[in-house]
Amino acid sequence: MIWRWFLAATLAGATVAVAAQNTSYEQDRGWQAPAEAAARTNPLARKPEAAAGGEKLFKRNCVECHGEDGSGLVKKRAADLQLPLVQQQSDGVLFWKITNGNTDRGMPSFSRLPELQRWQLVLYLRTLKPAGK
Amino acid sequence: MNKLFLALLLLAAVPGFAQESPYFVTYDHHLEEPGNLEIETYTTSGIPRAGQNAFVAPYMELEYGVTGRWTSELYLEGQGTVGDSAVFTGWRLENRFRPMKREHFINPVLYVEYEDINEASKILKEIEDGGPDVSSRNSELQPVKDHELEVKLILSSTVHDWNIAGNFITAKNFSRDEGYEFGYAFGIARPLATLASGNACRFCRENFIAGIEIYGGLGSTVDGFGPHDTAHYVAPVVSWQMSDNGSLRFSPGIALTGQGSPVLLRFGYSYEIRGFGSRLARLFGGKP
Repeated sequence: MIWRWFLAATLAGATVAVAAQNTSYEQDRGWQAPAEAAARTNPLARKPEAAAGGEKLFKRNCVECHGEDGSGLVKKRAADLQLPLVQQQSDGVLFWKITNGNTDRGMPSFSRLPELQRWQLVLYLRTLKPAGK
Repeated sequence: MNKLFLALLLLAAVPGFAQESPYFVTYDHHLEEPGNLEIETYTTSGIPRAGQNAFVAPYMELEYGVTGRWTSELYLEGQGTVGDSAVFTGWRLENRFRPMKREHFINPVLYVEYEDINEASKILKEIEDGGPDVSSRNSELQPVKDHELEVKLILSSTVHDWNIAGNFITAKNFSRDEGYEFGYAFGIARPLATLASGNACRFCRENFIAGIEIYGGLGSTVDGFGPHDTAHYVAPVVSWQMSDNGSLRFSPGIALTGQGSPVLLRFGYSYEIRGFGSRLARLFGGKP
């Protein structure tokens, strides 16, 4: 009997987890970084250890909408940061999007964070992978 | 009512992160994140000259991010004067609008505030003339009401992690004919460290922002425009992000002229509640 309850709870939990992921996220086509910004490279690219600070910043600033694993909360219409359409964007584009936000779509600007911390966030975003990969 | 109280208690446990500007008077272009509520408490204390009375003026601020480009704030203020009394001095409703969607070299913000205060107000959130009356008794000052509209143009820029901000103030008191009064505030500040460490430290440099601000009055259309016969202060400022959702601020302000209190000591504590709007909406059955 107990195992049935356990199975039901596990299935329910898995359903909620899947429903919370925003795999259907579509990009706002008007939210495009200028070419100059998109071409910028991450000054911390050769310091992978800085991603630990990026993880801390992510947990403080981003999980409210993007979730602990970055998969994006549907109710917040937040991007699933694990999706290829996000991961394929250049470091410069991600940095620009963190800096400017997309305020009309609910993504705030994080320009108040120092520039290096925003690059740390980009570094950490690169470590986000779908579960099991 | 019990439900609301319980909800507020629960909300208080929700962490947020407010990388707070250290300024007390100057505004920069960073607005509250949409749906977040920040509860802030401040005190302005005035150290008196001969013939003046020392005072402590506490005020509370509720700051809510209505949208990504609109922040609204409610202030409740009071003051206690040594050898006199403690009085409620009124409320203010403030709105800040950011017209531009993206970050630019100079970012403008329009600030509009309605004040329903009295002449006993001493929080000195801005200065437009000689500062508050620190010699008269509260019983004389409190009955004198001020219904004032204040407009500021906020210009703010981030240059190599330095924030540079300038505020240009115009105020109109509808209770008396004082003409239009003018004031200014400028600030510059920078985090003490720009790289975040991997561990959860509290006293490390990345959690501190330091800077300086200068603010004062620029006269009025009645008394003449300019810095003469007005109060001006220069004030170092520092903020400490003491927890994920709380920060402390401190600023000693030194008077540059003979007007007002010679020294102002300001303390502030702010606490941010993330997702306040959506949690409140859910509580009352609305769409988050």
